[in-house]
Amino acid sequence: MSLLAEPGARLPLMGNEAIARGVLEAGVYIVTGYPGTPSSEVIMTLQEYSRDLDIYVEWSVNERVALEVAIGAAISGARAMATMKAPGLNVASDPLLSAAYSGVDGGLVVYVADDPGPHTTQTEQDSRWYGELAKLPLISPSSPQEAKDYVVAGVELSEALGLPVLLRTTTRVSHTVGDVLLGEIKQPRKGRGFSKNPERFVRAGMDWNLERHKWLNSRLARVEELSAKLGLNKVIGAGELCIVTEGAALNYVLEAVEEYSLSARILKLGLLHPFPRGFILDNIRGCREILVVEELDPYIEQHLKTVLYDAGLFIPIRGKTTKHLPIEGELDKSIVLNALGLKQRDQPGSPHKTPRRPPPLCPGCPHRFTFLALKRAISKKGFKLSEVPIIGDIGCYALSVYKPIDMLWTEHSMGASISMAMGLKLAGIDKPVVAVIGDSTLYHAGLQSLIEAVNKRVDLLVIVVDNGVVAMTGHQSTPAWSTSETGRILKPISLDELVKAVNPDELRIVDSYNYDELVGVFEEFIDKPGVKVVVSRHPCALLEARLKGVKTRYTVDVELCKGCKACLVVTGCPAIVMEGGRARIIQEDCNGCGLCTRFCPYNAIKQMG
Amino acid sequence: MIRILIASVGGQGGLTLARVLAGAAVLSGLSVRTGETLGMAQRYGSVVSYVQVGSRVYTPKFTPGEADYLVGLELVESIRNIHYLKPSGVAIVADEYRPPYTLSVENPFNTRDQAIELIKKLESKTIIIPARRLAVEAGNPRASNMVMLGSLNAVSNIFSHDNVEQAIRKVLPARVVESSIKAYIKGYEYVQAIRNSFLA
Repeated sequence: MSLLAEPGARLPLMGNEAIARGVLEAGVYIVTGYPGTPSSEVIMTLQEYSRDLDIYVEWSVNERVALEVAIGAAISGARAMATMKAPGLNVASDPLLSAAYSGVDGGLVVYVADDPGPHTTQTEQDSRWYGELAKLPLISPSSPQEAKDYVVAGVELSEALGLPVLLRTTTRVSHTVGDVLLGEIKQPRKGRGFSKNPERFVRAGMDWNLERHKWLNSRLARVEELSAKLGLNKVIGAGELCIVTEGAALNYVLEAVEEYSLSARILKLGLLHPFPRGFILDNIRGCREILVVEELDPYIEQHLKTVLYDAGLFIPIRGKTTKHLPIEGELDKSIVLNALGLKQRDQPGSPHKTPRRPPPLCPGCPHRFTFLALKRAISKKGFKLSEVPIIGDIGCYALSVYKPIDMLWTEHSMGASISMAMGLKLAGIDKPVVAVIGDSTLYHAGLQSLIEAVNKRVDLLVIVVDNGVVAMTGHQSTPAWSTSETGRILKPISLDELVKAVNPDELRIVDSYNYDELVGVFEEFIDKPGVKVVVSRHPCALLEARLKGVKTRYTVDVELCKGCKACLVVTGCPAIVMEGGRARIIQEDCNGCGLCTRFCPYNAIKQMG
Repeated sequence: MIRILIASVGGQGGLTLARVLAGAAVLSGLSVRTGETLGMAQRYGSVVSYVQVGSRVYTPKFTPGEADYLVGLELVESIRNIHYLKPSGVAIVADEYRPPYTLSVENPFNTRDQAIELIKKLESKTIIIPARRLAVEAGNPRASNMVMLGSLNAVSNIFSHDNVEQAIRKVLPARVVESSIKAYIKGYEYVQAIRNSFLA
C-alpha cells in the first residue's frame, strides 16, 4: 500500500486511508484532529508519509482546538480538514456553529466518524443532525472509494459555497478495506492572506449576525444544485419498490437486492443536509412503496415524510418509525431482507455458549499497578470498596471496570472525572471520592475540572495515570512529546508543571511500577482534606515492548504451582492462563512487569534470564 | 463470492491476515471488502474480521450461516464463531488455546484437547493446524496468522502463490516478510500433506 501511488492505480485501502489519499487529491494543506476510533487513521496515515509531503498534519490537544486551527487556516484561503470521532464533534460544536456564520475561503472539511453498534464509542450518536444544527452541508459516503472521492467533492463544495462541509462516515466505511481507484494528487493550497472584515467574522455584532444568518440560508439554498453536479445522489436500478438509503446501509441493500434479484429503485443519497428535496421529487414518482434503510436515527425517514407531505404525495413509507428496521445497533443484509419480508438464504445455526472475552488491561500495564494499589489502600484504611466511588475518565484505564480489577464506577466524557467527582462530594458523600484521569485526557479537557476542584476547595483524591501517550487509540502523541509523529520539533508542555500551577493541596509523583509507594501515598492522601493529586507515571507497556523489546519475562514453575489461581484472580493479566489446573504464562505476551509474582503464595512465578 | 471469517484474540494478527487477503484479492483483479468488529484490537479482546471476495462485493459484513471458511487463530474464539459457517463451510483452526479470564477462573480443568474435541463436534469439517509449531519452524513465532493463510489457501485455492507473496510483501514490515512467506508455505504444505495422506 502506498499512499503516493500513481493515479489510475487500484489499491486495497481502508476507508480512513482512502480519506487520507483524498486529502492529497483535494490539495488540503492543514490537517488537524484528535484521536478517536474509528477516525484516527486519516491523520496516522498522512503522518507516515509526511516527510514526502508539504502539508501540516498534526494531532491537536482536543477537537475544538483542532477545528479552530483548521477554521483559522481556511479563512485565509488554505484548504483544511479536521478529523474526530462523533463525541469529538460535540467538543468542537461551539466553533462549528460560529464557523457557519463566518464562512470560509479555502475549502474546509470537518470529518466525523459515527459508530453504529456501537463498537468503540460511548453512544450511538447520529452526527447527521449536526448538518441541521450547524446549518452546514453534510455528505456521507458508502465505500472507501467514495470516502476518498467525497473529500475532493467536499473541498470543492466548501469553496463553491464558502462554507465548511461535514464529511460524515460510520465504522463500516471508515474501517472497511476495499479496492480504491486513485486520482490525481493536487498541489496543496496554502493561505493567501486574511483581510479585516468584522461584519463577517466578529460575532459580537448582533445586526451583523442576523445578516450572516440570512447569508447562510442563501448559501444553503444553492447546495443541492451544486451537489447534483458532483453526482453525490444516485439512482440505482428501477421498479415500483423504492429504497431510499445512504452510507454503509446502501451496501446491505445492494447485497439483499442482488441475492433475490429484486427489481427495486434505489435512491442513494450522498448529500444529507440540506436534504435533497429536488432529487427526491424527481425520482420518487411511480413508487408504490418506500423502504428507508439507514443506520442510527430515522433521519432520512423524517425528512422524506416532510418532502412528500409538502408535495402532496402519499406513498407508504416503511422504516424505523414503523418498526420495520431497528432503531439501535448496526444493520446487516438479513435485517434489510427482513424489512423486505424476505429471509436470508443461508440459515444460521445458533451460537455455542462461550464465555465473554472483554478487553483487559495489557500485560505489564502500569494502570494495573495503580488500581491494585488503590484497592489495597482503600482496604487498609478500613473503607469498603463499595463505599469509595472511583470516578473515571476516557482512556485505557476505563478497562479497569472489568473483573477482576473491577474498580471504575463511571466513565462519561473527556475530562469529566474530576468535575463529576466534585459534584458527588458537594452533594454530600461523606466517604472519600477518587477521580482517575489519563495524561492526554487531562490535557484535552481535564485541566479546567482540576482548576474548578482546587479553586472551590473540594476534598478529592485525583490520580493522573500518565503513560506518556494516547494509548487506547493507537499510541498518538501528547503535548508532553518533544518531537511529533511527523518529526516536527515540539516544545514539551510538562504535565507536572501544569498541575503545580493549579496548586493542589498535595502533589506526589510516583513511578506506577513502585506498588508499595503507591499504596503508601494513596493511604496518606485518601481522607486528607483538600485536592490531593498523585501522578502515577510509567510508560505504556505495549509501546515500550514494541520500541525497546522486553528485557525480562516470567514463567510458572509447574512443580511449585498449586493451581490456586491467585495470580490470575488478582491481576487478570491476559498473559496468564490456567491450563490443566496450573497457571501458565504465555511467553510472547509477558511484558515482564513481575506484578504477578507478588500475589503467588507459593513463589512459583520465576523471572527468566 | 467467497466469505471468510477470521476469529482471533486481539494481538494475534487477525487484522493483518485480513489485509493480506485484501491485497491478494486486488492483485487477482477481484473486488474485496474486509472489516472487523474489534473495539480494542491490540488488547487481548475478541476480534472478528470479515472478508468478502468476488467479482463485485459491497460490504465486508455477512451474517451467521454465510461463511465459506472460518479461519480461527485461537480455539475459544473459533468456538464462539463457528455458527458463522454455512452447512458446506470449512473450519480451519489453529491449535492455540487462550482461555479468557472467566473460563480460566471458573473452569480450570478445561484443556486445549477438550476445546479441540468440542470444535470438531460442533463442525465435522474442521482442520486443526499446529500453527504455532509451524510458525516457529518458519523462524517467526508470531507468524501463526501467515501459517493459517497458507492453510486457508490450500483448502480454498482462492489465490495464486504469487499474488499472496506479493500481498505479504506489501502489507508486512520488511524485516518479517521472508519468515512470513515461509510460514505461509508451511501452512499450505501442512494441508497438502493431510490431503495426500487421505488420497493415498
